Amino acid sequence: METVEEKKLIVTKIKEGTVIDRIPPGKALKVLHVLGINDNYPYTVALAMRVKSKKMQLKDIVKIKGKMLTSEESQKLSLIAPNAVVNIINDYKVEKKIVLEIPEQVSEIIKCLNPNCVTNNREPVFPSFSVISKEPLILQCKYCDRLLEGQNLSEQL
Amino acid sequence: MKFTKFIFSTLNLSREYLESIFSLASKIEQNPENYLNKCNGKILAILFFEPSTRTMLSFESAMLRLGGSILGFASGKTSSSAKGETIADTLRMINGYADIAVIRHYLEGVGEIAKKYSSIPVISGGTGTQAHPTQAMLDLYTIKKAFGKIDGLKIALMGDLKYGRTIPSLLYGLAKYDDVTLYLISPKELKIRSHVRQRLNGFNLKFYEIDDISQIIDELDVLYVTRIQKERFPDQLDYERLKSSYKISPETLNNVKDSFILLHPLPRVDEITPEVDSLPCAKYFEQAKNGVFVRMALILNLLGVE
Repeated sequence: METVEEKKLIVTKIKEGTVIDRIPPGKALKVLHVLGINDNYPYTVALAMRVKSKKMQLKDIVKIKGKMLTSEESQKLSLIAPNAVVNIINDYKVEKKIVLEIPEQVSEIIKCLNPNCVTNNREPVFPSFSVISKEPLILQCKYCDRLLEGQNLSEQL
Repeated sequence: MKFTKFIFSTLNLSREYLESIFSLASKIEQNPENYLNKCNGKILAILFFEPSTRTMLSFESAMLRLGGSILGFASGKTSSSAKGETIADTLRMINGYADIAVIRHYLEGVGEIAKKYSSIPVISGGTGTQAHPTQAMLDLYTIKKAFGKIDGLKIALMGDLKYGRTIPSLLYGLAKYDDVTLYLISPKELKIRSHVRQRLNGFNLKFYEIDDISQIIDELDVLYVTRIQKERFPDQLDYERLKSSYKISPETLNNVKDSFILLHPLPRVDEITPEVDSLPCAKYFEQAKNGVFVRMALILNLLGVE
């Protein structure tokens, strides 16, 4: 059973910022890492891990005051926390709700690990991948065809 | 006939397109005199950042036999890439000097750069370990010429299937045909890469990865041998042990079918002994010659001439 303190932490409203709900259990710290939230972040951050959930059995939740996601951050989050729900809060109200989905294409946020790929060699092109499998997550470089998966991929997120 | 502008992979070439190139190559082979002046006034730029013998010379021969001219370089060391010029800039510059280009580069993904930055047609002469589409096309042409078809054949690829750039291109080309049975024979260190296997799984193609040719050689129509490179083995003892198992001698071919053919993209080192050269099944020098006709057909197609 959740304690009163836990419930309070989860339900306390924030005035302005982002609430990310339905994060796969255990991934909340990774989410904060992707969002660049560290010990220097000046506003309130609440994090709950392995909270009971009707839909997921267990889930993580992150609330970040004063934070709006960039498209690059959303793209990365969709890869580590697919199906998580991003709530954009303004004046204590949910202004927008976005369910994160793994995209068909991933551009610029991840590097190809092939040192001979043109994207790693001063050419005027940016890394770009096709998502060829969502479970497990496997990306394929659009330039050199190499696959990016497992630890090689998660280390870049 | 459908025209295309860039040839960097066989993956995106349809069977119909391949067949139209083979048909034109065959016409050229039969009546080369009809094509002597087809490219008068046209210039082919040869941009070779890596060494080559057959690919470069056969492209040069192809353009000269069509009445065109050639310019270019045979090493990155003698071009401005040695000063740090990008491929994109080299291509943009060459657009003002030539009508069509062929590029060989050690980097992979050059095709996407060409599509973005070149206004003239560009053909790959080999990119890294990724692709060598014109080699694969001349291989397919040679097979087609020998059997009159590619459908239904039993074909084995043997040797370095991991680093040989011809291999993925040939596999994707063969995948466009029906009922081809493929045997991929290599030491475990040199099996096809995972992304190539993943692509092959997307085709309706039967392929078997094995490590010994003796169990299937008698039923093969085509054996395609590639060179196993010494430097790919961290332990030289492994190389010495393996190289003899992947060597073709007349004894290996004792019981092959009458129609069987032996191919190799060349250069060979010791994976096919010289005694094999005189056997009727040894088609690798004819294969190299076929490269000129196929490349002539491609130049004509990409220039929109035929």
